[in-house]
This record gives sequence, structure tokens and C-alpha cells, in this order.
Amino acid sequence: MRRAKFCINSMWLGTVLAVLCGLATAQQALDLEGHAVNPFAAASGKPVILIFLRRDCPVSGRYAPVIQKISNEYANRATFWLVYPDKTDSPQEIRKSVADYGYHLPVLRDPEHALVKLSRVQITPEVAVFDRDRQLIYDGRIDDWYIDLSRARPAPTTHELRDAITAATAARTTLAQKEVRGVGCYISDVE
Amino acid sequence: MSFPLRSILLVLLSSTLAPMLPAQSSGPASQLTFNRDIAPIVFRSCSTCHRPGEAAPFSLLNYSDVKKHARQIADVVRSRTMPPWLPEPQELKFADELRLSDADMNRIVTWVEQGAVEGAPADLPPAPRFVQGWRLGQPDLVLKAEKPLILPPEGTDTYWNFIFRLPIQQTKWVKAVEIRPGDKQYVHHANILVDRAHASRQRETDPGAGFGGMEIRIESQGFDPDSHLLFWKPGTIPYVEPEGMALRLDKGTDLVLNTHLQPSGKPEVIQPSIGLYFTDHPATKLPMLLQLENDLKLDIPPGEKDFLVTDDFTLPVDVDLMAIYPHAHYLGKDIQAQATFPDGTKKTLIHIPQWNLNWQAVYRYAEPVMLPRGTTISLRFSYDNSDANPMNPNHPPLRVKGGNRSTDEMCHLWLQVLPVNFDAANGDPRMVLQEALARHNVEKNPADFEAHYNLGAMLQARGNLDAALVEYQAAVKLRPDDATGNNALGAALVQGGHPAQAVSYLQAALKARADYFDAHYNLGFALAQQDDFAGAVEQFQAALRLQPQDAAVEANLGAALAEMGRYADARAHFQHALLLDPTQPIAKENLEALKEMNPR
Repeated sequence: MRRAKFCINSMWLGTVLAVLCGLATAQQALDLEGHAVNPFAAASGKPVILIFLRRDCPVSGRYAPVIQKISNEYANRATFWLVYPDKTDSPQEIRKSVADYGYHLPVLRDPEHALVKLSRVQITPEVAVFDRDRQLIYDGRIDDWYIDLSRARPAPTTHELRDAITAATAARTTLAQKEVRGVGCYISDVE
Repeated sequence: MSFPLRSILLVLLSSTLAPMLPAQSSGPASQLTFNRDIAPIVFRSCSTCHRPGEAAPFSLLNYSDVKKHARQIADVVRSRTMPPWLPEPQELKFADELRLSDADMNRIVTWVEQGAVEGAPADLPPAPRFVQGWRLGQPDLVLKAEKPLILPPEGTDTYWNFIFRLPIQQTKWVKAVEIRPGDKQYVHHANILVDRAHASRQRETDPGAGFGGMEIRIESQGFDPDSHLLFWKPGTIPYVEPEGMALRLDKGTDLVLNTHLQPSGKPEVIQPSIGLYFTDHPATKLPMLLQLENDLKLDIPPGEKDFLVTDDFTLPVDVDLMAIYPHAHYLGKDIQAQATFPDGTKKTLIHIPQWNLNWQAVYRYAEPVMLPRGTTISLRFSYDNSDANPMNPNHPPLRVKGGNRSTDEMCHLWLQVLPVNFDAANGDPRMVLQEALARHNVEKNPADFEAHYNLGAMLQARGNLDAALVEYQAAVKLRPDDATGNNALGAALVQGGHPAQAVSYLQAALKARADYFDAHYNLGFALAQQDDFAGAVEQFQAALRLQPQDAAVEANLGAALAEMGRYADARAHFQHALLLDPTQPIAKENLEALKEMNPR
């Protein structure tokens, strides 16, 4: 706890310490066996994409094919994780949901919202894109498919996640917006 | 001058501000709790759908369920996305209105802002009790779609039609239909159409599997107008028809369930069921569905933000308006219908300021609305074909016209009406209504094929064959290659004693649609009347290949064969006809005649 607080207050520490801080909090995320996992450790220098989902969020569900398409496409260039922030979800329930939607991505539980805080996400589904230097370069919606909870466009017209991955894998990062809130279910409702 | 104005202002202010304060509170700071203030609203307005097995995506049955979605709930009640209810409040009340009162909405929002506190256990009202399974108890007849549809995990919305072949042997009267659309989470709405002439079966490439399509048209034979709006949307409680308003279902009738499905992200198996509840009381009151529309006026330029389409129809008879069902697609914006009474007063029948196809519904009035003869029903639908409409299927926008595909537009208003105060001596009031409507449509759009066709059919049903022929001829002139139009004109000519003139139209119908049972049958009849029995036999045989169980065709085929002197063949067909329908009069009579000719 103290460490997290220190992080938030340490405005002047700059990149290096912020990264260290991120690592420290990230270690609180767990795999489905209950082991602490650092999603950045296994990334071997690739950008890291965290995808935040709620099992009980229909918008999270509808995005499954989109998430799989994008993660397949960029599989060699970035490391993807599904992150479930609802601490009341059991590993078994998450495992079943992941199988139902046919995901082939590694899964993390984030019961203490360590990754949520690090990623600044607020809604499911939202994503956080970290570049090779583990700098958070984008957090927010995948695209603009949903307008609000009762209306979706026939097809998205913006592609924030793809743009952010491209920026993270390119030499120079030029993103129009670093943060665009998504439509779906609040993560704070499951604190 | 300023005093009355100020007093009006005060009234308005107090009526909008009052609900901000919770009922039990002594001041704005009072703490709302789930158990005391929120549970009653949730149980009444949310839990019906938000429970296991129902349409909503998660349960809202207790504090922890609601707490897990608290901010989301505050958002959706504030925006009035939930509970889903599109019409504005109005004088003519609807039954089963889902709209939250301002007071309840504000209570929920305040409670969430205050931290979503649970409160004292003693304050919690009893949990709502729901009927499990069929809402109206075990139906008298349950039908399940023969083959399921596998809904793919992604893609655009799917519109699928399941055909239910009724296994009834005699006419039944139905007082209620319960639609169980399969996995309710993925079915946005479903609609039953009564298909009395197997018109939909030919659209199934795999029998029993159903067929795709958002809007389907069902041809009927004779005057037998649809009379009931059989509709399901999430949260629908099955509707029991009023006494005397049962729906007639005959042997051989198909029910077609038109469903709107939304992919979920994983493959889903959709296999709907319907439950029928019968009554012994045949219909004594005959409602019908009136359709106002103006699809031909739908020609919306790209970028147009407010394209207005209207239709105004004046009632020729007194009716009780029972229910209303407006329908547009993704460009629909502001949807209104109004009644102007003979004395000039106006009442809003429905007003949906922000149309959303996903939440379309049939709205039943809490009490029937009496609309006297001379009342004008006006439809005013506006459409937004600009990029500002996020539901626009085209990006960038394209010119959009009326049509059946989801990317086309529609302008339909269905009204379920029950004619009242009529003199039965003047004929069936539904026919009077239908003819007036058909005539109105012809006047509105003289180039409307369907309008001429429908007016022709109506005039034919009312026995005015000469006038019917004029309308059918107009229809065929508009669409010379249309199978239905040519067949109707041919059939009317046969009926009018002009079989020679009928032949070319019936042939045109068959050229347009080779597997057109009715046209084969009618052409067979026309040829037989001109003593071309060999030609007639050929047509009746073709008809029989399409519908092998049709007793009337068997009987006519037998008669044509008998005329040709092929008595043994004729006898076999008469016998088969009587096997299919022991009362078939032509077969019976001819078989007797054959016996007399040849007593063996």
C-alpha cells in the first residue's frame, strides 16, 4: 500500500522509477493457479497489451472476436494478456468463460486492481498499451463500435487499439489521443 | 400579466424538483439505502429481466448484484436507456409501461452518488417471486423449431425466420401465445406471422431450418386479414387476448417466427419454442391490423438530417384502437402518430423522440382508445441519413430507399383495431376498412403495385369483380413480370368467365416463378374450361408435385382425366383425394358419376 501511494505522489521521479513502481504493483496480479505474475517480465522487450474484461459484461463478450483478431494479427510483435478485475470471480469461472469465448491468450486475475491502477482503465472492455520501455502510451476503448449501452455502430470507424499497437511497435510514437473512455461496465463497481 | 406567468413557473419548478428529494427524506442530505429505498424499485422494474434464464445479461436480485453494477445502473437510468421504454409519457396510457418515474430515477442516482449503502436488513422487502418456465403455465401445445440456428460469434445482427408447422387436425382457437425465443440474451425481438397458405415454406432451402430475412411478406388467399400482434421482446409477459378475440388456427397453418438476433462474441445455439393456449370460445369480435405506411416516399439523400415522411388515413368506421406498433430501421429518428377527431381535437397515439430499432415493441393501450368514423390517423416519421446518426449503416452515408433489407428504410405503423358500432347488414366492417385503406394507398401512390394489387384483392373478395380486374390490370401494367400480379389477374379472369384471356397471364406468372402452385392450378383450370384437358392434366400434375397432399388438385386432376376418357386413372385420383379429405365434394360427386357409368 505504501508503495502505491508513493508512486502516485512521486511526480518528479520520471520514467525509470515509474517503471519500477509499475513492476512492483503489477506483481500483485495472479494467474489462475493463484501465483503472482508480472506480465512485463515475460514480454522480452515487446510491447505489452492488457485487455480488461468482466465476465458479466455483455460488451466484453461481444468484443471477443475483435480481441482475438487483433491479438492474432500482432502476436509476434506484442504480448497480450486478458485481465479480470472482479475479485469475486473464481479461477474456475474465469477459465470457463475464457474457454466459452475460445480465447487462446494468457489470463490474469487482478483482485486488488493493481493492474487497473497502473493502466488507468475504468471500464470493461478497455485496454492498456505499454511500449517497449513499459511506458503507458494508451488506455481506453478498443474502437468506437459502441455508442452507448443500447446502441452499436454497424462497424467501428476508429481503431484506437490497433493505432496504439502500431505506435508502440514503431520507432516513433505519434498517437492523437492517449486516452479515450470505452462503453461497457465500470471496473469501480467491482472494487 | 407577470403574476400568472410566475405562478406557472413555480408549478413547473416544483414538479421537476420535487422528485429529486427521496420520499422518506427530511432533507437532501439524508442517506438512501438499498434495503429501504432502492430494492422496491429494482424488484419492480429490473429483476423481471435481470435474473437467470431471462434476457438481461446479469442478475439484479439482491444488494450485491446491484452494487456490482451500481454506477452503470445510475448511468443507464439517467439516460433512460434502462428500463427500455421508448415512448414519451402521454395522455393515452400504455399497458405494462416500463418507464421509471422521475422520482425513482433520482432515488437511484442519488443512492449511487451517496456510495450505494446497503442499509438495515429489516427494511428489505420480500424478494420478488417469479413463475419459472412458461409464464402462463403448461401450454396446451408446445412447438419447438425443427432445427436450431447456430448464431456466429461475430458479424452484424442476424434476422432469421423459423417455420412452425402446426400439428393440429382441426381448427383451434388461441387465446394466448407464449414465445420462448431460445437463449433470450441474444434475441432482441421476435414476431409471429400467421401463414395460412404455406407461402414461407418455399423460402427454406433446407426444410425445417428456416430462412434469413428481416422483413417477410406472406401472401394470403381470400380475405383473412391478420388480426393479432404476436410479439416478443425482453421482459414481455404473454398477452391473453380479451374474451371473444381468440386467434383462429386451422389445420395446415404455419406460424413463422421472425427473430432479430445479436451475436454475443461466442457461437450460440438458437432454437425457439412457442407455447399455444387454446380456448373453447371461437372469436366473436374480429379485430384487424391496419397498416399506415409510405415506403415509396422513402428516398433519402445522403447527409439529410431530418427527412420527413407522412401518411394520413381517415377511418370509414368506428374502431377501438387496441395496440400500436411503429416500425422503421436504423435511420429512424422521431416517430409520431396522432389522431385528429372529427371535432378537430388531437391526441398523440405514440411519440418516440429517439427511435431505436433494437428496442422496437408493440405497445398496447391500457384501455382501448375509441376512434370514431371520420377520425384521421396521421403518421409522421423523420429520418437521419447523416454521419451524425451513429446507427447509419452506411459510412459515409449513401442514398437510402424503402425496402426489406436492414440497410433499406421502412415507414410502417401497425394499428390493431376492433370495428365497433357497425351495422352487420352493410357487410364485414373489416372489409370496409381494408377497402378504404387500399383505395387510400392507390390514391397516395398511383404507381404502387402493391396498392393496386391489394385493392384488386379486396374488391374481388367483396364480389366486385369488374372493378377488381381494373386494379389487377393496373398492377400488371406496373410490373409485367410479377408472378403474383399475373396470377391474380389470371385467376380473376377465370372467375369472370374469360379463361382464354387468362392463359397468357397465368403463363407469365409461371415464367416468373416455375414452382408457383397457385398458377399451375389456375392455368389447369383455365385450360380445362377451354376443353384442353391434356394441357390441364399437365398443369394439375405440376401443381401436385409441389403440394402432393392437396385434395382439390387431386380431384381436379381426376376430373380432367375422366374428361379424356382415362377412367381408371381418374378413379385413382378421386380416391386419393377422398383419402386426403373425405369431404372433397368434386371427388365425391365424380366418383359417384363414374360408378354410375361403370357399375363395376
